[in-house]
Amino acid sequence: MPEVEKILETRELNVNMGPQHPATHGVLRLVLDIDGERIVNVKPVVGYLHRGVEKLGENRTYFSALPLSDRLDYISTMNNNVGYCVAVEKLLGIEAPERAKFIRTMVAEMNRISNHIIALATHILDIGATTPFLYSFREREWLLDLFEMLCGARLTVSYPRIGGVRNDVSQEFLDSLYKFTEEFPSRINEYETLITENRVWKKRTVGIGVISAEEAINWGLTGPTLRGSGVNYDVRKHAPYDAYDKVDFKVPLGKNGDCYDRYLCRIEELKQSNRIIKQCIEKLPKGPIMADVPKYVLPPKDNVLKDMEHLIHQFVLITKGPTAPEGEVYVSTEVPKGELGFYFVSDGTGRPYRMRVRSPSFIHVSVLPRLCAGHMVADVIANIGTIDIVLGECDR
Amino acid sequence: MKTAKEFLKTIFFIEILRGLALTLSRLFTHAVTRRYPKVKRPAQPGFRGLHALVRDRDTGKEKCVGCCLCAAYCPSQCIYIYTSEDEDHKKIVDRYEIEVLRCIFCGFCVEACPFGAISLTEHYEYSDYSRDAFYMTKERLLSNWDKYMAGQKGEGYFRKFWRPMSEDFGTPEKQATWRKIQNAK
Repeated sequence: MPEVEKILETRELNVNMGPQHPATHGVLRLVLDIDGERIVNVKPVVGYLHRGVEKLGENRTYFSALPLSDRLDYISTMNNNVGYCVAVEKLLGIEAPERAKFIRTMVAEMNRISNHIIALATHILDIGATTPFLYSFREREWLLDLFEMLCGARLTVSYPRIGGVRNDVSQEFLDSLYKFTEEFPSRINEYETLITENRVWKKRTVGIGVISAEEAINWGLTGPTLRGSGVNYDVRKHAPYDAYDKVDFKVPLGKNGDCYDRYLCRIEELKQSNRIIKQCIEKLPKGPIMADVPKYVLPPKDNVLKDMEHLIHQFVLITKGPTAPEGEVYVSTEVPKGELGFYFVSDGTGRPYRMRVRSPSFIHVSVLPRLCAGHMVADVIANIGTIDIVLGECDR
Repeated sequence: MKTAKEFLKTIFFIEILRGLALTLSRLFTHAVTRRYPKVKRPAQPGFRGLHALVRDRDTGKEKCVGCCLCAAYCPSQCIYIYTSEDEDHKKIVDRYEIEVLRCIFCGFCVEACPFGAISLTEHYEYSDYSRDAFYMTKERLLSNWDKYMAGQKGEGYFRKFWRPMSEDFGTPEKQATWRKIQNAK
């Protein structure tokens, strides 16, 4: 029966996953070529959340472009703000005071915890466990409340400023944060009790999405995704900015480079971040929070209200922006997802001639075909979770 | 020996039981959630909510002088100001409008304003059925101030929001500073 055989031929199936899939962490579209239940090829299609942040940055002064960095990675806003400010400060050649540096380090680590929590929680939820998701949002809420106490916003904080931070931390805030750092290790233990040894979790993650150290470097991976493969690279350690050279922390490393090791890395980073926050609170020096560089930093508010010179200065700075020296600068900082780089080309005016963002999520999306090849369809979800992407940052 | 231990752990579901014990113990603790529409969480002082134009206590009118600094600073460019002159060549603010749907609530307008004429209130429940409800005219913004921020509350808001003060400015040793230059003179 030759005709029947012809009808029953097998071929690869082309399936769209996303862009409105709940497990793709945003509007990521994956075109899967599947042979039965096995993945033959994955093609990520990005760009659904493109807002032209880089172009928008060119039309705004260095001051006004700061909130744009919030909208890159909307889960770790504080880290993005800090990265932006560190980059612009390097371009302008100024330095923030010691207290501001410590405050920035502290709030950045708070946000690192909040980001890793949500990364783990959604990763675990995608694979099928609901409880850790609910538990981890409890801690995240605590941190967001602290952010609100600090600067009046929970997510899009816009708290750091070029040359310092916006307002000083209150004693009430520090007490509350210290209470959090005391409490948090026991909360990490809760997640670990639920997940780390769980046989279902191990079956779904051990040996899934394995990438060797050499390959991980070649793909340009950074952050916990790289460190899971055992490569010791952390911008905080190797090119310290802010107060990272004055606090003591370890860089956790994985061995096998699979989903499980990356998970362990993130759990260990939670503990290290907690340690950094504690040290920052203990070592927090007294002093000013904004650099006293009138050419580039907005004048003090109380002086603007009563002093003519400062008022004129405020007008000039806000309308023209800080006139940066000509040149270009690239500064990378360690955000929870990896290495976030800002590249500015300045033509000597208050607006960047070119602003370029090197976002870790975009590079991590490109490794998805490599991670998924040969695995089952259900492992695509595990792989998306483990590289910890946010599409707002990926598409910019 | 180790494998025997592992084997026992596997057949008795030890790690699963540990997890279940944890979730069971949570049954007897307080709930961390709130019954939202009934129980509302008070906003922290300095919360960045809906906008308001500050009403001057002496004149009963807006404090705004129409300098357009907030509009220049606004990252999303959602503030529109139209001014004109009266007979004494005094600037009067005809229209002061904010498109709330475009606003990103960064609070830069408050930071820029040299008169303390605009503020963000603690009000955050402003959903509506029409887009017109989010186009804030001067009258609406003034009434926002009366509704949410009048009195002691508004004063306290600015005290927190107007950092940094002059004592917050300083700099690392090696950096050339304004103050050092002034002191040298």
